[in-house]
Amino acid sequence: MIRVESVEKQFVGKNVLKNLSFSVPDGRITALLGANGAGKTTCLRIIAGLLKADSGKVSVGGLDVARYPIAVRRQLGIVGDREGLYERLTVKEYLTFFAGAQGIAGEALAQALESVRDVLELDSLWCRRTKGFSQGERMKVSLARALIHRPGHLILDEPTRGLDVLAARLLRKTLLQLRSQGTAILFSSHVMAEVAELSDSVLVMSKGAIVGNGAPEELMHLSGTDSLEESFVALAYGIKGTGHAEGALL
Amino acid sequence: MNSVKSLVWQQFFALLRKECLEVWRDRRAVFTAIITCLLLPALTIGGIVYAIKNNAEDTFRLALLSRETVPLLEQRLADARLEVEIIQEGAAKELLENGFDLVLKVDDNFNSAFRNLLIPKLYLYMDSSSEGIRGQVTYLQRHLSGFQSVVARQRLIARGVAPQVLTPWQLEVRDVSAPSKRGALLLTMMPSMLILGIFVACLGASIDSSAGERERLSLEVLLQQPLAGPQIVLAKVLAVSSIGWLSGLVGVAGLVSVLPLLPLSELGIQYSVSLVAIPMMGLLLLPLSLLVAVAQMLLALRSQSFKDAQMQLGLLQIVPLLILFGLDMSKVDLEVPFWQFVPLVGQQQWLKALLVGETLSLPLVIAGSLVTLSLVGLCILVGARALQRERLLGAT
Repeated sequence: MIRVESVEKQFVGKNVLKNLSFSVPDGRITALLGANGAGKTTCLRIIAGLLKADSGKVSVGGLDVARYPIAVRRQLGIVGDREGLYERLTVKEYLTFFAGAQGIAGEALAQALESVRDVLELDSLWCRRTKGFSQGERMKVSLARALIHRPGHLILDEPTRGLDVLAARLLRKTLLQLRSQGTAILFSSHVMAEVAELSDSVLVMSKGAIVGNGAPEELMHLSGTDSLEESFVALAYGIKGTGHAEGALL
Repeated sequence: MNSVKSLVWQQFFALLRKECLEVWRDRRAVFTAIITCLLLPALTIGGIVYAIKNNAEDTFRLALLSRETVPLLEQRLADARLEVEIIQEGAAKELLENGFDLVLKVDDNFNSAFRNLLIPKLYLYMDSSSEGIRGQVTYLQRHLSGFQSVVARQRLIARGVAPQVLTPWQLEVRDVSAPSKRGALLLTMMPSMLILGIFVACLGASIDSSAGERERLSLEVLLQQPLAGPQIVLAKVLAVSSIGWLSGLVGVAGLVSVLPLLPLSELGIQYSVSLVAIPMMGLLLLPLSLLVAVAQMLLALRSQSFKDAQMQLGLLQIVPLLILFGLDMSKVDLEVPFWQFVPLVGQQQWLKALLVGETLSLPLVIAGSLVTLSLVGLCILVGARALQRERLLGAT
């Protein structure tokens, strides 16, 4: 489980995260929704231990991220909003490095490589250098990197951005499979249909704070709307009804 | 405990392999390193060849412009270096333009004035903008002066006066400097060029693996891994320095293979590199390569972008060379043991000594290298701290 408790973060005197609290249970997919600049990426970076919270506590699998950042990273798989591929390495070399960085070697390494190769259908890319890969190919390799050490917790920042239909379908299939294996999954997205289809619960962030938390149906009920998108717009922007400023809900 | 150690090493080797693949597959960095290791020794050798050529005593042409025949001068002026041509009519300027290096114009009444013990005049015309003219004029003046002295002695002897009265003393110049010291004056340039070569060779790789990785957005992914900051920086430093060190080794190999073929003795240089000295030079360059790599990476990490890093480091490349040349030209006594503990200066002094066949004090070399390696260790820790800066991720 990922637990975020009363986290605050400032950048140059501006409150980016305000008293942020939520949890991501094991075996569940939690979506993090928010407008650009709402603080989603900062929140995900704090969970990954890349940024330090000014106050509050974040734990992953019961481990305090601030105290045990290295141990936490062994339990986390992260697909950021930037793929971060090494263009001079082949897919195999790239994944071998990240497996090695997670301490996987020998027979376990061979098995881990074969597993992600099969699950994410990487055969045709396996011995190619990643330079010139399409967005979908980049995302697949990036996801393979996040899954190579079979983490118990997975964080994805806008994973379907720029993906074609087949790649998006493969991603969704993989996430559902991981959920069934007990992985705690937190992902941010702007695609409401995808959030509605995949997520067990939804967190809505606005201006650094959680303004809605619950199952998609609960949020629709809370905001008095009949679609998740309407519900998000109402909660995040205080606007009820698509494209019409009919009044603030919160 | 052992399994933790083994995990740390396993992670480190995975990281080192990845960094080496990245560095050695970077065509731009490898190309720069190859060009550097070939170009810098070539420049040094070119400089030496030029110096030898300038130092060589080339022959030059003298027009002896005289209306009457002056057998005295005609017979005595010509020698191995001086081609004399007698011209009876003409303007000095035109003769200089037509291929003569110097024109010596003789007074019309030279022969009668000479016989009557008067002082006939000679006029030397030259083009001061010509290359090497000073040396030719000095040579001719010395030549004429020697001849003048012979004539004066003959006249004194003919009159029963001892010629020694014109020579109250005789100055003889004797050079007491050791051949190795004479060589060191010019060989100073070579270690500095080798050191500059390491700086240039490491440049592309160090920027690429720090500012470049940050700009390509892969640094954040790397920092998400369960790796300690010093592990990351050390692996990067080893990979980057490998390219600088190899460039240094090729530079040393190039120098020691080509220098024996050059006529260095003509410049008073005694060049002597023993077989032991060659691997020794390679070893001495290793800590220096590590220091150069880590220093460049630290600076590149502070830059805003790849281009910014390129510009800043490009300008800073020349600073160490200026320091080394400055110290060499100043009156600072670099043979004081203190300087052997100063990175760059120590290595420069050791390389210079090895090139001229001097022996090194092994304890001082080891101690000086350890100082350099300690500095590398310190920079690695500073680099590891720099990786924790939130600004590095563009977060603020």
